[in-house]
Amino acid sequence: MTVTRRHDGELHLNRRAFLTLGAGSFLGVVASWRHATLQSPDSLPGTGPSGRLWDPARAGRPLEPVTTADNDAVIRAIEKQLHCTCGCNLDVYTCRTTDFTCTVSPAMHEQVVDLAAQGMTGPQIIDQFVRQHGVAILMAPPKRGFNLAGYFVPSLAIIAAGVVLTLVLRRWARTAAPDPVPARPLAAAGTPEELERLRGELDRLSV
Amino acid sequence: MLELVAGILLAAGAVYFVLRPIFRPQLTGNGNREPGNGSDGEDPEDDFSPRAVALRALKEIEFDRATGKLSDADYDALKNRYTAEALTALRAERPGSEKRETGNVAAPPFPVSRVPFPVCPTHGPRPEADAVFCSECGRRLATAPGYCARCGTALERDAHYCHSCGARVAA
Amino acid sequence: MTLLGTLALWLALLVGVWGALAGFVGGLNGRADLAHSARHAVFAMCGALLVAVVSLEWALFQHDFNVEYVAAYTSRNLPIFYTWSALYAGQKGSLLFWATVLSVFGSLALVLTPRHHRELLPYVAGVVSLAAAFFVSVMLFGHANPFQRLPYTPLDGNGLNPQLQNPGMVFHPPMLYLGYISITIPFAFAIAALLSRRLDTDWLVAIRKWTLLSWLFLSIGICLGMWWAYVELGWGGYWAWDPVENASLLPWLTMTAFLHSVMIQEKRGMLKKWNLALIIGSWLLSIFGTFITRSGVISSVHSFTQSSVGYFFLAFLIVAGTASFALYTSRLPLLAAEARLESMVSREASFLFNNLLFIGIAFSVLWGTLFPILSELVQGTKVTVGPPFFNQVNIPLGLALLALTGIGPLIAWRRASIPNLQRQFAVPGTVGVFTALILLVAGMRDFYALMAMALGGFVAGTVVQEFARGARARHRQYGEGYALALGRLLARNRRRYGGYIVHTGIVILFVAFAGMAFKTETEASLRPGESASIKSPYGWTYRLTHLGISQYDALNRQVTAATLEVTRDGKRLGVLTPEKRQHVDGLGRPTFQPSSEVGIRSDLREDLYVVLGGVVNGTEQAVFRFTINPLVWWVWYGGMIIALGGLIVMWPGGSPAAKRSQAGYAVRLVGEDR
Repeated sequence: MTVTRRHDGELHLNRRAFLTLGAGSFLGVVASWRHATLQSPDSLPGTGPSGRLWDPARAGRPLEPVTTADNDAVIRAIEKQLHCTCGCNLDVYTCRTTDFTCTVSPAMHEQVVDLAAQGMTGPQIIDQFVRQHGVAILMAPPKRGFNLAGYFVPSLAIIAAGVVLTLVLRRWARTAAPDPVPARPLAAAGTPEELERLRGELDRLSV
Repeated sequence: MLELVAGILLAAGAVYFVLRPIFRPQLTGNGNREPGNGSDGEDPEDDFSPRAVALRALKEIEFDRATGKLSDADYDALKNRYTAEALTALRAERPGSEKRETGNVAAPPFPVSRVPFPVCPTHGPRPEADAVFCSECGRRLATAPGYCARCGTALERDAHYCHSCGARVAA
Repeated sequence: MTLLGTLALWLALLVGVWGALAGFVGGLNGRADLAHSARHAVFAMCGALLVAVVSLEWALFQHDFNVEYVAAYTSRNLPIFYTWSALYAGQKGSLLFWATVLSVFGSLALVLTPRHHRELLPYVAGVVSLAAAFFVSVMLFGHANPFQRLPYTPLDGNGLNPQLQNPGMVFHPPMLYLGYISITIPFAFAIAALLSRRLDTDWLVAIRKWTLLSWLFLSIGICLGMWWAYVELGWGGYWAWDPVENASLLPWLTMTAFLHSVMIQEKRGMLKKWNLALIIGSWLLSIFGTFITRSGVISSVHSFTQSSVGYFFLAFLIVAGTASFALYTSRLPLLAAEARLESMVSREASFLFNNLLFIGIAFSVLWGTLFPILSELVQGTKVTVGPPFFNQVNIPLGLALLALTGIGPLIAWRRASIPNLQRQFAVPGTVGVFTALILLVAGMRDFYALMAMALGGFVAGTVVQEFARGARARHRQYGEGYALALGRLLARNRRRYGGYIVHTGIVILFVAFAGMAFKTETEASLRPGESASIKSPYGWTYRLTHLGISQYDALNRQVTAATLEVTRDGKRLGVLTPEKRQHVDGLGRPTFQPSSEVGIRSDLREDLYVVLGGVVNGTEQAVFRFTINPLVWWVWYGGMIIALGGLIVMWPGGSPAAKRSQAGYAVRLVGEDR
């Protein structure tokens, strides 16, 4: 709501003018109150006072208002698979929503939105980016050719090592196992005095 | 200028400090006087003599059974085996001597010569004539073959002198 | 003071080289005088490097901008806290910091090591001197001398990178460095044991304790790093599988593997070769990490500026790796196992599988980190290996490891039998299944998250059961009250039960990681008075109302702060003020790009994370990103519990005399009645 006051000149008021002003301001307050209650529910784009900042340069690069495409789940899913080329090592979505000084990721975002608006599907858009920039544009290498080694060598190595380990352990266990319970006579060899001493030693150890 | 002087003084001090043990070995000959780290600062868990390992194993077997991890059959088998091991270790350590347990029975005759009684680097001469390990701390004793007679260090193969204390190795 | 600093560096190099020579020669030839001189060399090096550090700090605090390092990383208006931490903010300073900390650790190791490891010490002094001398030589010969002067004196310095102006920056790098650097000590002991051929189990004590210390510092450093990334970088997560993060994780994994497998060597005299290899490997991985961080070979968010320094490290890595490997293989015959495995079903076997997984994960992380290089070599195309790749490969492995965390403690050492295992697994297994069922009923459908939480329940069940059964056993045996029994159980078996506390911390971490599967985010541009709402995975709705933007000057920055009122399901929670900061130097000139300062509202269940992106057309209409990160605090709590458990494990035991007086757990001997 805007309020204007006249400070220039003298204040001449007759009765009628005074009443008009009173009624006007009442209506104004009511109108603005209604306006306020209307505004508060949820975002009404384009409403509300938004004054200029004292020094906009301090707030970084000027941004565009958020559109529905920016929050679109499909767009977001696509962008999370694309690597931002600004050198930040992040995906396009994370970069554009984190490093607001970056101009590369918003441009790539624009391109994704444009391609989607042309009716291309997610995989098609991604293919388009790969054609344009090479496979390094993908956050994870595609699963084909040598890249399969990237995905499966660790798991295969672990499985192979696990199998070898199991076999080795089994052999170790077998070579060590052959005495089921032959130890009884062995231990009985201890004289009562020795056993007593062993007991003493054990009592000193705390577990 | 002041800095340069400070730097030179620092360098001189450091060089003196580093080279002193070489030029005047007698001053530092005793070497390695670590603050009170004999045996009393140490965890008994750090003792890896066969005796200690076997005793700990016995304790653990008992505890595993008490918490229900060992079946009776496994318990018996393991128990037998490690009791036997512990007994072997105990016998090897001090054949038929109960002296240490009963305390100082008439101050043990500390020998003057270093031959007849084995010596622990930390606890001095041992009362048991043929001990291989110290009965105080379980450390290997000097007379064991392959170990220095003076300080108990493991020797290099075919060494003529101990690489730790420099003592001549008996042929 | 830069002249003094440079002189101190040269002195450190000289003394270090002498220390390495004297240490190795003294050790190998049994020259006590040389060995002693090597010991003094480490102390002298420590002194010289401390003088260098003091000189650099002096230059920093004096704002001596003629010194290039001071001008590059500080400014007149930098808060004093960060002026101090600028010591390790840049490449050159961090090399000095590294060498200094190494020499301090080396001196401590020489002073604190008990007497009967004496014959290892000359070699330890040699290895420490050599490594520290290498770092000093990188500074002196790799154009990385922090005391270098400029041909002119700038009016004011460049200031510290805003992202480093965070309390996390003061603590995270030193902790990580302490962990990284202290690995050198166990490595030095391992080399010493190999050189001196004293390869019985005794030397392990020295190694184990230092490894534990190093592991503790590294764990705390990694957790602080996650915290710093979360509160400062603004992308709303704490782990991005960045090469530098991976580099810190690698030695942590191998050391954790060592801390488990060392128990087998202590109890059974097995796995000597493996344990030594793990220690040597951990150290090489820490040097490898340094190489990655400083060379720029692999692109990373927070590497230092690219420079030739990296190649020094590569050369060092190759030489040190070859030398240690040659020494190791030459001593293999001395490392025969003393015992055999008694059963496939035993704690030993489960530890071996745990080691397999730790090393497997380390390998897969290393593999992924290096895969871009490999791909370029093999197929000639550059690929990007990002979080999706690492998650796909490592989440299943991590879950398998979590499962083993629960399975291992339930199996007895030496041997176990199936009926017993059934009894042991009954309670924890039930807890795990129930956790899964409850979460399924509650509507959780993410497979990995569900698995992580169910396994978390299982492991937690294991830990509780272990404490409960242990306490009950003591109660039965000595008639101690349950509280006393529990206390004594922990006090007398610090390693075992401290380890279980670490396991608890790990469970909490995994649950927290699982929570991130339910991260939700949205962007909105709001004028003052407008509001946006975001739905939490718990079902309630946050409403954030933009109240307006204020701009003001702080000490070394110009702040643009948005104020948002937060309500949850209509209940007012408070106000969040995410900021944009334009840092300036003492003359009011802008120094870096504007950075974001996030607003975070946390509770145990979730964090509301608000980033101010910027403003539209210079008006108060602002662009925000709102993120809900479930269970983030559990990461920090998990980290604290891990640190606590590590401390308990490390806590020194009393004297044998004191232990003797505490009655232990009675053992019945064969032939006695049960």
